[in-house]
Amino acid sequence: MDKYAIQIKQLTKIYPPNHKALDELDLCVNASEVMALLGPNGAGKTTTIRVLSTLSGFDSGQVMVGGLDVDIAPDKVRQTIGVVAQQTGIDYFLTGRENMRLQGQLYHMKSNDINDRISELAEYFDLTGQLDNVVTTYSGGIRRKLDIATALIHRPKILFLDEPTLGLDIRSRKVLWKHIRELNTNFGLTILLTTHYLEEADSLSHRVAIINTGKIQIIGTPDELKNSIKGDSVVVSFEKVDKNEQAFSYLAKQQDYIKDSVWVGNNLHLYVADGAESVPKLMMLASKNQIEVKSLALSRPSLDDVFLKYTGSSMQTPQQETTDEWWKQWAGKGGGKWQGKWDNSDSSDKEQQEAGEETWENNQWSSSTNQWNDENTPHTGEPQDTKKPADTWPDKNQWENKS
Amino acid sequence: MIADTWHLFNKYMRITIRMPLWSLFTLIQPLIWLLIFAQLFRNFVQLPGTDGNNYMEFMIPGILIMTVLFGSSWSGVSLLREITSGTVDKMLVAPVSRVAIVLSRVLHSAVQVITQSIIILIVAWIFGGITTINLFYLLLGMIIVFLLGVAFASLSNGFAITLQREEPLVMIGNLMTLPLMFLSSAFVPKHFMPDWIQVIALINPISYAVEAIRTVFIDTPDMAVFLKGFVIVLIFSGAALTWAVTAFNSLRD
Repeated sequence: MDKYAIQIKQLTKIYPPNHKALDELDLCVNASEVMALLGPNGAGKTTTIRVLSTLSGFDSGQVMVGGLDVDIAPDKVRQTIGVVAQQTGIDYFLTGRENMRLQGQLYHMKSNDINDRISELAEYFDLTGQLDNVVTTYSGGIRRKLDIATALIHRPKILFLDEPTLGLDIRSRKVLWKHIRELNTNFGLTILLTTHYLEEADSLSHRVAIINTGKIQIIGTPDELKNSIKGDSVVVSFEKVDKNEQAFSYLAKQQDYIKDSVWVGNNLHLYVADGAESVPKLMMLASKNQIEVKSLALSRPSLDDVFLKYTGSSMQTPQQETTDEWWKQWAGKGGGKWQGKWDNSDSSDKEQQEAGEETWENNQWSSSTNQWNDENTPHTGEPQDTKKPADTWPDKNQWENKS
Repeated sequence: MIADTWHLFNKYMRITIRMPLWSLFTLIQPLIWLLIFAQLFRNFVQLPGTDGNNYMEFMIPGILIMTVLFGSSWSGVSLLREITSGTVDKMLVAPVSRVAIVLSRVLHSAVQVITQSIIILIVAWIFGGITTINLFYLLLGMIIVFLLGVAFASLSNGFAITLQREEPLVMIGNLMTLPLMFLSSAFVPKHFMPDWIQVIALINPISYAVEAIRTVFIDTPDMAVFLKGFVIVLIFSGAALTWAVTAFNSLRD
């Protein structure tokens, strides 16, 4: 295989009449690399995956997968790739084994080979006990695992995962992460996954590409991206945003220790060289101007801050998905109807997390050093904390179990 | 392509066999017609101009056609479901023949209506609607049933792909089945119809299918009528299938 498993040059895709889903997108994924495409809904993540997996055509550009042009040799590309789409393509009325066998048959594999591969994959994904049950009896997490297993039946070199853990509970998500990581380390699989969970991109991928409005905004390892915002981030929350607060943000920008600032709702994100030093200075500045600050939070930059910097909008504020015309939502060209359902389940996730956050705040967060966003800003996940996101997950499990 | 079609066909058959009740539900309406309407209109044959035979006997080919239309015209609904649930995408990312995806669905539908037709025939036989059964002619009749099943399943799948939405598809399914049936000689002899309906019946492929089936179910079949019906239904189903396959191939966005 070439040095690059995936090579996209100047890829443009326009959905009629004139919605530019991908805008001269460039992206290269090295062989045996895990790359995360991180972006809000409607950023072009799924479209990119669909083009790469030969499901969608495109208007201009060049797309090479495994050294093959998807336009010239789509069938050869299909043999090289495994695809796990956002909606599980699993047939619910068949058993797990039947699903896997059918997929193997569709890849023209020999019957013996299919059987060997099924037992191999079932063992790997801990599915052996469930293999002969009808899929309707499976839980969401197991369905996902079966979905990934069927996508691997023909031993692909490259795996596409479109929002692999969307709608899953935290335990299933962690199990899935482990599997995905091992697929890469043990078998050298190149994995391109899309996600809008920051912690997922952070913990799974070698490199993260932040995508928005059909373009790659920045690309690098999670640490590189975080370091690209030098220093710390301070979030100043207000009860309301009025003239005074606007004036404060203007004043703050004048200070030489503040490098950058962005408003997100009632929160003012400030990027400073040394957080510990600037917090008292900011408090002084506020009290001198008689502005009431609700809370002040100091943190190491997270991927969210990176996202904020490169797209001007926070991952944490819910992004409105551009709604298509009614007929397009049904068109199945991206699963409009189902996508809606997924999004709903996602928002209930958020509610759950918010509910948890309250208890959390009471228990262990002191508002002077750390800030937990106010109630009208739903979170996508991790606290803005100095700890690595992965370390905070066990805590979340605790409150999950309680509720 | 043949292997792909076979594997997918197997999958659909397996799902159908796993839910036998579903197939029975589509049988309810033809059975109601067979048992109630045939009784209701039994004296119809005593009107001048009919041959005075058993009306049930006259009606059975019509009921068979009805079974075919009701059984196969909803094939597209499940295609839409498979598109929205991502099952079709899962097939499409594999190097599977695109034709096989449509073909397997249509074949499955046609085989399903043959099974249903045989059940209807058994019921009709129990109620005395059929007096003589010749296996060879039964087979000929089933060929017509099969082709018509292919035709309407293809139309339904084609409309599913072009409309991309369930409600209008169901509406078109209704529009296709009932009027086409009444505008054919399924339930009344042709010379009973007003002139304008006769004209429509003349270009309605269902008329020819009905007549082809009707002729093989009587004592002395007229093979010319059967062949005419066979050829017309064959062309009709071929055209419908081609359209559905073309529509499916253009699905790529």
